Amino acid sequence: MNKKILKRIQRRDRIARYVITVGGMAVIFSVLLILFLIARVTVPLFQPAVAERVARFPVADQGATVMAAGLDEYRESPFVVDAGGRVQFFAPGGQPAGGELLLAPPVGAGRILAVDSGEELTFGALWDNGSMTLDQVRFPSGFDAEGRRVQSREVARLASLPPLEQGVPKQALVRRDGEERLTQVALLADNRLLIRQLVTETDLFGDSREATHLLEATGLPGEPITAMVLDTTGKNLYAGTGRGTLLHWDLSEAGAVELLDRLPAFPDGRAITSLALIFGDISLAVGDDRGGVATWFGVRDGEGVKRLQRIHVLSGHRRAVAGMIPSRRDKSLISFDAAGQLHMDHMTSERHLLTLSSEAPLRAGSLAPRGDGLFAVDAAGTGYLWKLRNPHPEVSWRTLFGKVWYENYDQPRYVWQSSAATEDFEPKKSLTPLIFGTLKGTFYAMLFAVPLALLGAIYTSQFGNARLRGMIKPTVEVMAAIPSVVIGFLAALWFAPLLERSVPALFLGLLLVPVFLLAAMVLWQGVRNRPLGKQLDRGVEFLLLMPVLVLAVATAITLGPMVENWLFDGNFKLWLFHEAGVRYDSRNCIVIAFALGFAVIPIIYTIAEDALSNVPQSLKAASLALGASRWQTVWRVILPSASPGIFAGTMIGFGRAIGETMIVLMATGNTPIMDWSIFNGMRPLSANIAVEIPEAPVGGTLYRILFLSAVILFTMTFILNTAAELVRQRLRKKYGRF
Amino acid sequence: MTETQIVTVADPVVQVENLNFFYGNAKALHNIGLDFPRNQVTALIGPSGCGKSTLLRCINRMNDLVDTARVEGSILLDGMEINTPTMDVIELRRRVGMVFQKSNPFPKSIYENVIYGMRIAGIGDKATLDETVERSLKSAALWDEVKDRLHESALGLSGGQMQRLCIARAIAVNPEVVLMDEPCSALDPKSTARVEELIADLRDRYTIIIVTHNMQQAARVSDYTAFLFEGILIEFGETKNLFVKPKNKQTEDYITGRFG
Amino acid sequence: MNDFWRKGEPYIWTTAAALATTLLLAAVLIVVVLVNGLGVFWPSRVAVAELQDGTRVMGEIIRHEAIFDGEGQRVQFKIGNRDLYGLDFRWVNEADINRMSYPDDVIVLERQEHGNFYGTLANLEGRTVTSPAQGWAELRQRLRQLAGEQDRIAEMSGKLADLNGQVARLRLRERKLLYRGLTAEDARVAELQTRRETLERRFHELADQQSDLISSLRERTATFVDVSGNEREMPLVDIVRPYQPNRMSLPAKVAHYAGKLWELLSDEPRESNTEGGLFPAIFGTVMLIFVMSLFSFPLGVLAAIYLREYAKEGVIVRMVRIAVNNLAGIPSIVYGIFGLAFFVYGIGGSIDQLFFPERLPDPTFGTGGILWASLTLSLLTVPVVIVATEEALGAIPNGVREGSLALGATKLQTLTRILLPMASPGIMTGLILAMARAAGEVAPLMITGVVKLAPSLPLDGQFPFLHLDRKFMHLGFHIYDIGFQSPNVEAAKPMVFVTTLLLVLIVLVMSSVAIRLRNKMKKRYTYSTF
Repeated sequence: MNKKILKRIQRRDRIARYVITVGGMAVIFSVLLILFLIARVTVPLFQPAVAERVARFPVADQGATVMAAGLDEYRESPFVVDAGGRVQFFAPGGQPAGGELLLAPPVGAGRILAVDSGEELTFGALWDNGSMTLDQVRFPSGFDAEGRRVQSREVARLASLPPLEQGVPKQALVRRDGEERLTQVALLADNRLLIRQLVTETDLFGDSREATHLLEATGLPGEPITAMVLDTTGKNLYAGTGRGTLLHWDLSEAGAVELLDRLPAFPDGRAITSLALIFGDISLAVGDDRGGVATWFGVRDGEGVKRLQRIHVLSGHRRAVAGMIPSRRDKSLISFDAAGQLHMDHMTSERHLLTLSSEAPLRAGSLAPRGDGLFAVDAAGTGYLWKLRNPHPEVSWRTLFGKVWYENYDQPRYVWQSSAATEDFEPKKSLTPLIFGTLKGTFYAMLFAVPLALLGAIYTSQFGNARLRGMIKPTVEVMAAIPSVVIGFLAALWFAPLLERSVPALFLGLLLVPVFLLAAMVLWQGVRNRPLGKQLDRGVEFLLLMPVLVLAVATAITLGPMVENWLFDGNFKLWLFHEAGVRYDSRNCIVIAFALGFAVIPIIYTIAEDALSNVPQSLKAASLALGASRWQTVWRVILPSASPGIFAGTMIGFGRAIGETMIVLMATGNTPIMDWSIFNGMRPLSANIAVEIPEAPVGGTLYRILFLSAVILFTMTFILNTAAELVRQRLRKKYGRF
Repeated sequence: MTETQIVTVADPVVQVENLNFFYGNAKALHNIGLDFPRNQVTALIGPSGCGKSTLLRCINRMNDLVDTARVEGSILLDGMEINTPTMDVIELRRRVGMVFQKSNPFPKSIYENVIYGMRIAGIGDKATLDETVERSLKSAALWDEVKDRLHESALGLSGGQMQRLCIARAIAVNPEVVLMDEPCSALDPKSTARVEELIADLRDRYTIIIVTHNMQQAARVSDYTAFLFEGILIEFGETKNLFVKPKNKQTEDYITGRFG
Repeated sequence: MNDFWRKGEPYIWTTAAALATTLLLAAVLIVVVLVNGLGVFWPSRVAVAELQDGTRVMGEIIRHEAIFDGEGQRVQFKIGNRDLYGLDFRWVNEADINRMSYPDDVIVLERQEHGNFYGTLANLEGRTVTSPAQGWAELRQRLRQLAGEQDRIAEMSGKLADLNGQVARLRLRERKLLYRGLTAEDARVAELQTRRETLERRFHELADQQSDLISSLRERTATFVDVSGNEREMPLVDIVRPYQPNRMSLPAKVAHYAGKLWELLSDEPRESNTEGGLFPAIFGTVMLIFVMSLFSFPLGVLAAIYLREYAKEGVIVRMVRIAVNNLAGIPSIVYGIFGLAFFVYGIGGSIDQLFFPERLPDPTFGTGGILWASLTLSLLTVPVVIVATEEALGAIPNGVREGSLALGATKLQTLTRILLPMASPGIMTGLILAMARAAGEVAPLMITGVVKLAPSLPLDGQFPFLHLDRKFMHLGFHIYDIGFQSPNVEAAKPMVFVTTLLLVLIVLVMSSVAIRLRNKMKKRYTYSTF
C-alpha cells in the first residue's frame, strides 16, 4: 500500500478522532451545563446581605450635638445636622468636604431640640423656642463638560411653623402632604398630644383659603408617651407608651382626630421605646425596652373592624431598642439598641440580614435612598459609613414556599403577585400557588390522558388488526407533532366557549358514553354469531365503536339543554354559583384536562405501545395455549411484563405535562389561585415564567425567582424522566431491543 | 506449557509465542505458542469459549476494538512483531484479511463491496478496480452468479453468496493471510460445501487460518489443526495425525465427541 | 353470551373505545382546523335582511344558533363597516327578520383599515354612479390604474429605506469615530457628516415627492353607501380588493380564493395582523428552522458519533446517555429562560460591549433576535438529534464495523463510508422531527426574540443582508398573538384559523415524512437474520 496515502488517511483519522472526541464532549458538556447556569442565576437569592465598612471618622467636635444624619443616593456625601442647624458634609472617606449649609433658625430660635428624619432626606427640626421647620437636603446633579456626573447640594425649606401657645413640646413631628396640608404633632411636657393642621383648600373658582386646625389627641391613657410616628402624608398617627400601650389615630379628615385603636401591645406591659413605619406606611414597627422588634398592622376582626395585630417578629436585641430606620426602598428595617448594635431585617421574609455594631450607642443614622449604604453617627461623635449589598432581602424559603401574612391580608396566605402599580407594594412571591397550579393542571390532564392512552395502547398492540395497527401507530405519532400552540388556541378559543355553553352536556356525555358502549356490546352479541358478524374480523372493534361514540356525544349535546333546564334551572353556571358557591371560569380545568391531556396522550401511548408489543410473542402464545382467554392473557401475562414500559410512558407524559407552556398559558386563565375545583383555572409555573419574564428586570428578584421556578421545573421533569429512563433501559436489557 | 508445541513448521508466516490475553482481569489465552505454516490451511478447534476466536482476532489485532483487552507475548508476521506501536494496524489488517461468522456485506453494490479495500487505500483507477473485481469474484467462485448484476445491492444476495462475497472482498486486497471465523456456521449445507471448496482453491495463494467447531469441516479443509481448551493450546499438529492419533487425552475426548 | 362476559371481552371493548376516543379527538381537531381554516377565503354571499322594525342589516351570515334563554334561532351577521358601526358582528333573531335577499350589486371592499366594507357604489371620483354595472366596471378599471401608481410608491419606499439605511450606517460610523476619541472637527468625521447630509437631503426630497404623490392619490376617492343609506367616502388607494360576491360564478370564486391564498403566502399582514398575508411569519419560521438546523444538526450528529463510536462504554457514558435522553424531555420554557440569560444577556451583552459600544445603551445583540432564538431552539433539539443519530448508529450490526476495519479501513473511513450512509435515514428522521418540533415551538421564542410585527425581515437587500440580530415573526407566535392579544378577537379568528391550518400542515407533513422514513429504515436493516 502506498505509504503516502496511508500516512494521509491515518492523519485524517487522527484529526477526526480528536475533533469528534473534543467536539462531542464539548457539545454534551455544554448541553448539560444548562442546569448549572440556570441554577447559578438563582444563587444570589439565598446569599446573605453583606456590609462593608467604608469609613469611620469623627463627625463633630462635640458628639452630643449631632441631631440627624443623612446620606445621598450615590453614597458620596454623608452629612450630619447639628444642634445649631449646620449641615456638614463629608467625603466618602471621612474628610470634611466643606460647603457647609444651614437650616436657617426661625425668628427667636437658637438651638435645635430634636430632629425627625422623614423620607427623601427631609428633616423636621424642633427649635428651642417651640417653632418647627421642615427642610429637605437635596443633591441636584448634572453633567459637566466631560460628561462626568457632578452633584451640588442645597437645603430647601419646605415649611416653617410658629411656636405653639401651649408651650415648647418635648418632641414634635411634621409632615407635608403635597401643597394641601401640613400636619404637626407635638408631644407636650404634660404628656398631651397636640395636632396642628394647616390646610389649604381650593374652591371651585380657584381661590385658595388657608385654615388652621388645632386639635388634641383623644383617648390617651394615663401613661407617658415614649414614642410616636406619623406617616408620610400625616394622616395616621401612632404612639406608644411607657407601659406598652399602642395607640393609633386617624387624622385624614381635616379638623378631626379619631382614635382607631388602643391596645396593650405586650402582656407584660413593657415600655415601647421606638416606633417606625415600614416603607408603604402600612406596617408599624414597634421596638420595646426588652429589645424586641415586631411589626404590626390592622387586621379585620370578626366585626370587620381593623385592629392592630402583631404580625412579624424580627430579630431582637439584648438591650432596649433605641431607634429604627426603615428602608425607603423595600420592607427592610434597621433597628439599633442602646448598646450600639444594629440589626437589619426584612419584614415580609422575617429574614435577619445583617448585624453591625458601633462603638457607642447610635444617635442618628440614615440609609441611602437605594438602600445600598448606611451612614450612622454614635453618641461619641463617630461616623460610620457602610456599603450594603443586599439585593434580595424579601426572599427566604418561607416567602417562596410557606404561608406569609402580607400587609392588608386577614391571615397568612400563599400568594403570588409579583408587581403592582405602586413602588411601596409588598411583593408576594410564593411559588406554592404556582406549583399547585402545575400539579393541578397536570393531575386533571393525566386523569384524562392516562386511561385513554394506556387502554388505547393495549388495544392496538394486543387486539388490533395488524394492518390497521400499522396505520394507527403512525397516526398517533403524528398527533404528537401537533404544535402545542395550536392545541392551546383551539382549547381556549374553540373548546372553552363551546364547553361554557354545554357543561351539562359534558356530564351527560360521561354518563351516556358507557351506557351506549354497553348497549353496543349487547347488540353486537346478536350480530356476531350471524354470517355478517363473522366476516368482520376481530380487531376492528374500535371502528365499530366510533359511530357509537359519536352518537353518544351527539345525544348528550342534544339533551344537554334539556337537562340544564330540568336540573339546573336553565343555567348551570348560575346554579353552580348559587348552590355550590363555585365560580365558573371559562378557561378551567376541564378545558386543560382535554387540551393538555390531548398533548400527552401520544407520548404515553407510543412508549406504552412499544413496551407492550415488545413483550415476546412466545409468552402470549404460551398463555393462550394454556386456555386463557385473550383478555386474561393480556391482564395476567402481557401487562405485568410490560409494566415498566407503561410506567416509563406515564412518567414521561407526566413530565411533558408539567413543562407544557403554551397550552396552559392560553387555556388556564392564568389566575394564581389555590383551588381544586374543576371549574376554576390556575397558573402553572411554566406559564408564569412566560408571562412574567418579559417584565422582569435582569438581575432583579423577580428575574431570579423565575429562574428558580425554571430550576424547579427542570428538577421535576429530570427526576421523572430519569426514573422512566432507568426503567426503560432495564426493560431494553431484558428484551434486548428498543 | 510450551511443551504442547510439538510440531515445528518449516515456513511459518505467523508465529505466536508466549501469548497471554486478558479481557479486563479475565485471562482468555494462556501462554499460547504456535506457528502457522505458509500457504496451508490451519484449523483452530475447541469447544465454545475456548479462546479460538480470540486467538484469531489477535492476529489482525481486531481485539484492539475491545476497550478492556490486553495482550502479552508476541505475534510475528513474517518475522515482524505486530504488537508494537510502530506496527501500523491498518497495514497489518491489509496483510491479514478476515472473514466473519456472520456475513457482513456493506449496504452497497456488489462491485463496491469488493473494491472497498482498494477505495479506502485511495486506489481509484477504473481498470485496476474492474480487474480486481473480476479476479476476486472469480477466486471466490461467485463471478458467474453475479457478473450481470455487479451494481445491484449486495444485500440482495443469498446467505452463501454473501459469505463468498465477503471472502472476495477480503482477498481483493491481496492479503498474505486470511482469517476465517467460523465462516460456515450460519450457512446451509450446500453453501457450506461451496465455501469449503473455495477454501481448498485458495490455499495455494493464501495462508488460511480457520476457526471452526465443526470437526468434520476441520478434517476436510485443513492441513494443520490446533486444539484449544479453556484458553490453553492442548495440541497442534498435522490434521491427519491429530485426528487419527491424538497425543492428548483431552483432544481425543473432544474429537470423538465426548464433550464440547 | 355468557362466554363473552366471562372471557373479559367487555374489557377489550373498553380498550377499543379508548382508542376510538383518542382517534376521534385527533380527527375532531383536524376537522375543526380544516373547516374553519379552509373556508376563510371563500367569498360567501352577502345577505340583506329586512327586519320587522324596518331597518335592514347587510352582511355575511356567519352562523345560526339557538337563542340562549328563549325560543327560536338567531343569526350572526358579519356586518363589517367598522368605521361606521364600530362592531364587525351583529346577532339578529330569526323571528325579527321579515325577508332575506341577496342583491347582485352588493360590493365587498377589503380595505387597508377598518376591515371589510359592505355596500354599494354611489359616487366615483366625483361622478355619481347611475348604473351599478358600469360603476363596478369603472371602479375596477380605476383600481387597476392605481395599482401602477402604487407600485411607484412602493419603489420609492424601497429607495427611501435604502437611503435611510445608508444614513444610519454613516451615523454609526460617525459615532464610532467619536467614541474612539476623535472630535467633531476631525476631517474624517466632517467628511462623514457632509456625506450624510447629502444623503439626508436626497432622502427628504424623495420623501416629499412620495408624500406629494400619495396625497394626490388620496384625493381620488369613491363614495359607497351602506345598507341603511350612510355614505362613506374613501380614497381609492385604501381599497385592497373589491368584489361582488353575489354575482360571482364558481370559477370567479375559485380565482378569488386563489388570489387570497397567494396574498396569504406572499404579503405583509395588515390591521394588527388580522388581515393580509403571513409572509414575514412564514419567512421567519423557515429561517428560524434553517439557522437552528445549521447549529443543531452538526453538533447533535457529532455528539452522537462521539457517544456511540468513540467514547469508551462505561458508567459515565451510560449516565450521559440517560441525561441526554432526559434533556429531550426538559420543558421548552426552561430552555427559553436559559437562552434569555445565557445567549441574550450573557453572550449578546458581551458582544455589544466588545463590538458595538458606540450604540449602547441601545442593544444590538443584547436583546432578543433570530440568532438567539435559533440557538435556543438548537439547544432544545440537539438532544433529539443525538438520540435519533445514536439509535441509528446503534442499529447497525457490529459485524459491519468489523468488516470494514478488518479490511484496513480507519475508523474515520468506516464512519464516513459505511456507518453514516447506513445511519442517514435515522439521522434524517431525527433532523426532521427536530425541525417539526422547532416549527411548532413557541414558548422559548416568546422570550428570545419573536415579535408580533417585525419592521423588517432578517434577510434583505440591505448590507450586510443577513441581520441575525433582528427580531422576527413566527407562525406559532402569530397564532398566540392574534388569538390572544388582539383587541378584536372575534374579527381575528378567521386569520388565526388560517395560520393554524398552515402551521399544522407544515408540521404534520414534516413529521409524517420523518415517521415514514423511520419505519422504512426499521425494515431495511434487519438483514442480519437471513
